[in-house]
Amino acid sequence: MTTALSQSLTLAWRSLIPLRNSPGQFAGMLLQPVFMIVIFVYLFGGSGGDRSGAVAYMLPGVLVQVALMSTITTGMNLATDIGNGVFDRFRTMPIARSAPLAGRVMADLLTLVITVAMSLLVGYAVGFRVTTSPFAALAGIGLVLFLSMALSWGSAWLGLVAKSVTSMQGLATAVLLPLTFGSSAFVPATDMPGWLTWWMGVNPVSHLAGSLRGLLGGGLRVSDVWITLGWTAALFALFAPLALRAYNRRVR
Amino acid sequence: MTYAIEAEGLVKRYGDASASRPALDGVDLRARTGTVLGVLGPNGAGKTTAVRVLATLTAPDAGRALVGGHDVTRQAGKVRELIGLTGQYASVDEKLTGTQNLLLMGRLLGLSRAAARARAAELLARFGLEEAAGRAASGYSGGMRRRLDLAVSLVSRPRILFLDEPTTGLDPHARGDLWDVVRELTADGVTVLLTTQYLEEADQLADDLLVIDRGRVAAAGTPDELKALAGGHRLDVRPLLATDLEKTEAVLGATAVEGRVSVPVHDLSEPPALLRRLDDAGVVLAEHALRLPSLDDVFLALTGGDR
Repeated sequence: MTTALSQSLTLAWRSLIPLRNSPGQFAGMLLQPVFMIVIFVYLFGGSGGDRSGAVAYMLPGVLVQVALMSTITTGMNLATDIGNGVFDRFRTMPIARSAPLAGRVMADLLTLVITVAMSLLVGYAVGFRVTTSPFAALAGIGLVLFLSMALSWGSAWLGLVAKSVTSMQGLATAVLLPLTFGSSAFVPATDMPGWLTWWMGVNPVSHLAGSLRGLLGGGLRVSDVWITLGWTAALFALFAPLALRAYNRRVR
Repeated sequence: MTYAIEAEGLVKRYGDASASRPALDGVDLRARTGTVLGVLGPNGAGKTTAVRVLATLTAPDAGRALVGGHDVTRQAGKVRELIGLTGQYASVDEKLTGTQNLLLMGRLLGLSRAAARARAAELLARFGLEEAAGRAASGYSGGMRRRLDLAVSLVSRPRILFLDEPTTGLDPHARGDLWDVVRELTADGVTVLLTTQYLEEADQLADDLLVIDRGRVAAAGTPDELKALAGGHRLDVRPLLATDLEKTEAVLGATAVEGRVSVPVHDLSEPPALLRRLDDAGVVLAEHALRLPSLDDVFLALTGGDR
């Protein structure tokens, strides 16, 4: 058991090395929230003059967007390891069968936390303030991490069953873009065509962004939190078994 | 005689059981401890599938295989403690440097930080990768990547090594280097199973050979035994005058190819007699030569010459 843990940690370390080896990639990861905030707060949100209102609305949306999009890497990295034979190499070694997946999940959780922290820092720099309580803020961030992890399992499943890295990336992007942009993360669901209003109401990302907005800035609708938790549980229940089954087939 | 690898009646089918012919259709093989078993065959013959079964990556549908005395399906964990595998494509983490790739393996295998560092340095030196050690593997040439891949497989000091077409796509110089490594390993008592499409490679390295074609064993034996299978020695003659070619064909009972007539000889008293008969018929030869068949002759004969 301890060996399985240390092997998982070693593999998590391995997954994080690229960030150190290529500073460009790490900088890109850190700068992504900066760009997103510049785009949404200053380009799209700045025309009305009420910039602090735009920041208060957009920052939770940016945080959710950045966190959810980062889940693609879980599946992409698994698909890369499978495609180039690294995964098979691990399978011929006397290590715990679970270590490659566990290591991957740990590393991705850490990068997720870094991404979220970076988004908050950038938000703070442009004037975003938590007006509720630290406890509420932590609860909001917890919700973001939970839903991201649930989607990470979906990403892992795609990575394990996809024919190639590019097909995995294409599929995951095709799912995540309408989820994140087709939500009230960046714009309220008003003055939209009926079908879009409907989709934005159903979309878990709208409820996650709504919850986070309420937990960071006040005006929480408790139903948003319940709907987010419900979706998170449902996505876990769907994707975790699918991913584990696909994984067990791969490692046999 | 002990065998590091023993397999009997291996069958492996991919996909629909009824549809296609199996990738392995009853393969028997044995590798003597501390020797090189060469597995030869054309593309799609089943070489890689055989390696995957023996390296615990794929379960056979039928048959049994022991690696280091352990069953590959029921005692896969024990087998994995003994083996190393280098596949057709270098399976290194391209985002990691050479050193980091080696450290990763060492740490996974439970070496201490210091021991993993020492082992990495030793292997980098052995494979001439010291200069590239700090660079990401994505920037390595094909030959360097293959060397790193082999180094990574050796971190655990495997007693049994599977090399699946290790020199495919390498230049002759890099190929020669890899051959030297294989020879050093067997000198240390390591058993190597090597698949290849190159007859010269099999001839150079293998103590025993297995020719497989369409998932079945077409022939097995030492390289010399297999060459003998192709009909022992051959006598090649070329008449000085092209007009003598027909007469030469008539005397030897064979057809000329590119001005040359080649006949198998079954014992070494035959060639002088054949040459005398040509002399009696008035044929003057520009050259004559007695040669052993090459593995190419064997391979073409065994695999139906469809390449």
